[in-house]
Amino acid sequence: MLLGVCLVGIFTKIMSLRLFKVLFIISSVLIIQSCKKSGCTDPQALNYNVDAEKEDNSCLYEDYDKLSLLTNLADNYIIPSMDAYKSKVANLNIHVDSFIENPSISNLTLLRTNWEDALLNWQDIGFLDFGPSEYILLRKQTNTFPIDTTELNNSISIADWNLEYASSYDSKGLQALDYLLFKPGHTDNQLITYFQNNINAKNYLKALAEDLNQNINYVTDQWATYREDFINDFEVTQSNFSTNSQGSSISNIINALCLHYEFYVRRGKVGLPLGVFNGFSQLELPGLVECYYSGKSTQNLVRSVTSLRKYVNGSSYLNNDNGIGLDDYMDFVTAEQNTQQLSRVIDNQFLAIFEELNGINGPLSEEIINNKSQVSQTYQELQQLVPYIKVDMTSALGVLITYQDNDGD
Amino acid sequence: MTGINKWVNHLTKNHVSIFPLLVFRIIFGIMMFFSTLRFALKGWIYDLYEVPSFFFTYYGFDWISPLPSPYMYVVFSILLISCIFITFGLFYKFNTIVFFSLFTYIELIDKTNYLNHYYFISLISLLLIFLPANRNFSLDTYFGICKRKNTVSAWQINIVKLQIGIVYFFAGISKLNYHWLIEAQPLINWLKHQSDFPIIGKLLLYDFTAYIFSWVGAIFDILIFFLLISRRWRVIGYCIAFVFHIMTAVMFPIGVFPYVMIASTLIFFNDNFHKKIIDFISKYSLLKKSQFNIEEQNYTSSNSNILKVFLIGFFTVQFFLPMRFILYPGKLFWTEQGYRFSWRVMLIEKAGYSQFYIHEPKMDRKMLIQNRDYLTPQQEKMMSTQPDMILQYAHYLSDTFKDSTIIESNGEIIKMGDNPKITADITVSLFNKGSRKFIDPKQNLSESKRGFTNKEWILDYEN
Repeated sequence: MLLGVCLVGIFTKIMSLRLFKVLFIISSVLIIQSCKKSGCTDPQALNYNVDAEKEDNSCLYEDYDKLSLLTNLADNYIIPSMDAYKSKVANLNIHVDSFIENPSISNLTLLRTNWEDALLNWQDIGFLDFGPSEYILLRKQTNTFPIDTTELNNSISIADWNLEYASSYDSKGLQALDYLLFKPGHTDNQLITYFQNNINAKNYLKALAEDLNQNINYVTDQWATYREDFINDFEVTQSNFSTNSQGSSISNIINALCLHYEFYVRRGKVGLPLGVFNGFSQLELPGLVECYYSGKSTQNLVRSVTSLRKYVNGSSYLNNDNGIGLDDYMDFVTAEQNTQQLSRVIDNQFLAIFEELNGINGPLSEEIINNKSQVSQTYQELQQLVPYIKVDMTSALGVLITYQDNDGD
Repeated sequence: MTGINKWVNHLTKNHVSIFPLLVFRIIFGIMMFFSTLRFALKGWIYDLYEVPSFFFTYYGFDWISPLPSPYMYVVFSILLISCIFITFGLFYKFNTIVFFSLFTYIELIDKTNYLNHYYFISLISLLLIFLPANRNFSLDTYFGICKRKNTVSAWQINIVKLQIGIVYFFAGISKLNYHWLIEAQPLINWLKHQSDFPIIGKLLLYDFTAYIFSWVGAIFDILIFFLLISRRWRVIGYCIAFVFHIMTAVMFPIGVFPYVMIASTLIFFNDNFHKKIIDFISKYSLLKKSQFNIEEQNYTSSNSNILKVFLIGFFTVQFFLPMRFILYPGKLFWTEQGYRFSWRVMLIEKAGYSQFYIHEPKMDRKMLIQNRDYLTPQQEKMMSTQPDMILQYAHYLSDTFKDSTIIESNGEIIKMGDNPKITADITVSLFNKGSRKFIDPKQNLSESKRGFTNKEWILDYEN
């Protein structure tokens, strides 16, 4: 109470200086304007805000605006793709159960097919590692490779594992299934015998599938509420107006996309096994490819680049209809790459990558030995996309590394 | 006495009220206290001075390095304490020296963190050492450590105004370039991401707005000093500055700089204004300002000739530093040679991507360096677009691998020799016009010398 009186006293005192009076009025206007629930009050506009009491001239009618970009990405790509992966994982669980019940050749084949489907669907959402996915490290939990087979076999033999520990991340996930379902040195019949006689292996298989299921269910559940924050850019509008600063949806999208592409596609899926990062000798390391045991690496690489392109272009996940995507955002800010539209340059680069990928037919682990020049050329094209998205796109869309101040110089 | 002499005397030797200086001291102390505290609370002491394994020192200041953990925290604590002492005017001279030295030391550690406003604070705190801002309404006078004064020589206030004027004026001059005025770059791009801004959000989407902002910004910077020194325009000028800085503060992540300027420019107001502030504070504090009736006669200022020479040199250097870029060939925004210490604020949008290679001495093979292993993300980002940092990093890599032995995955053993060759593939995008090759990929960077000479291995922008 006393404090309150004091504050009022000080306040009136300050106000007696004329200058501060003027400043007070100016700042009150600024603050009141920004505090009032303001927004677009025109129901016809794309960003019509039901709660808005005050028109702030923010109504947008053009093709592009941030809200429709985020809405399109969330509703037409992110949520459907996650749901699709979730249903594949559910199927995988069903087939794991029937395989454990009855380890037969036909059940093994079915299980493998379902695993393959789930993994391909995973490639569609791998680069969405922000928000709920980032929170539980979905990528690490789902598709870390190479698998630590010693650790994995050890866990099975002593029947001791806890898949929730971070230390288990390289002996679980879809790649652990790659190992278990395509165990090296085992014919299909031997593999069946292996599972028939090994209750621990069965349990481990079951645990792997359940773990995948649990993780994606968490993420999709979270997205039910996160969607609203995501499209309305919740975190940022709370603090300031630098809308693409760290923590904003656009910044999250772009950072996750660039990180995933640079480190887990270009580097992880191709560069590392190819030996690009292997010292001076650049010796190939075929053991580092994705799906080393099943040999499904190439199709998964193709799928991941395909979905990246789809996502950048804002295409619908289910029917490929073109919607508002990052490409439209780039066009909107007239981003250029040496007088060409940046969105075109990026799309052409995707096409150049597909062109080279066409020349790779077998599993990557074999192709990097037998068809090295082709894989190297593919890598070159993958590499070329990095500056386009990491430098040109990021800078055009005003996404900054803002963990620190900068004054633009 | 001629008119000019009279005018010079008026600006330098005239006795004027000490109040503006007192208020400036208090505001400066409080501001620095909170901005230092903010820096520490954001965890930046750890992020910027403990995490990196390598620091981009300034040429000629390579002997400066951060103290080992936890002593950087001690440095910041002393800095904070000195801010409090400055605010209260206790052991003022000692504390301004401590503040200037520590602050400048911290800023010299890594040019990754260079900000124009840090430079400004260093300069101001250096000036404060020589100004009698503790000679009234301070604990120094309260305890009788030094004598009370009611007046100071006019120059003692005017150099602060001049310093602030230089910041604005050169910031304005540096905006008079093709990109800023004719293309409205980089604002034309930045403003498009601001459509959520209250009231004018929608307007920001138009190119036209970016032109208005650019031109108004340039005119504002150039004229504001003159508005502030004119009695007639001062209040209007200050209000414009206030709105201008608040807008930049909410639109761009530029930290405390706008607030520093809003508070510092109060010094342009007249004695009466500052007297009111002091009156106001003295009501709630122990400190009592002295009465005007102890006017000192024969007041001799201590401005020795050495100080005079120093100050003339100090400002002369500041006039020429922003102009030194003329001595370098090529496009300033591309090469950034002569870019820092020139009040170029928010002028460029630049991003880069760099890949460094270390070469094997005997065979024609090279190894790709993972920048992440040596630099923080922020360091990598800043380095990728600034040639002097590129060179420093290359030298660091060369030193790191010097005389080392590398065992390859196939068991091959490679001896690196005493000066391993380093090359880099770097692409940089300026004003979002597309990434282009930045430096000569064949240049052996470990053989290029550091220094102020032109770096010939920077490729032409038009190339």
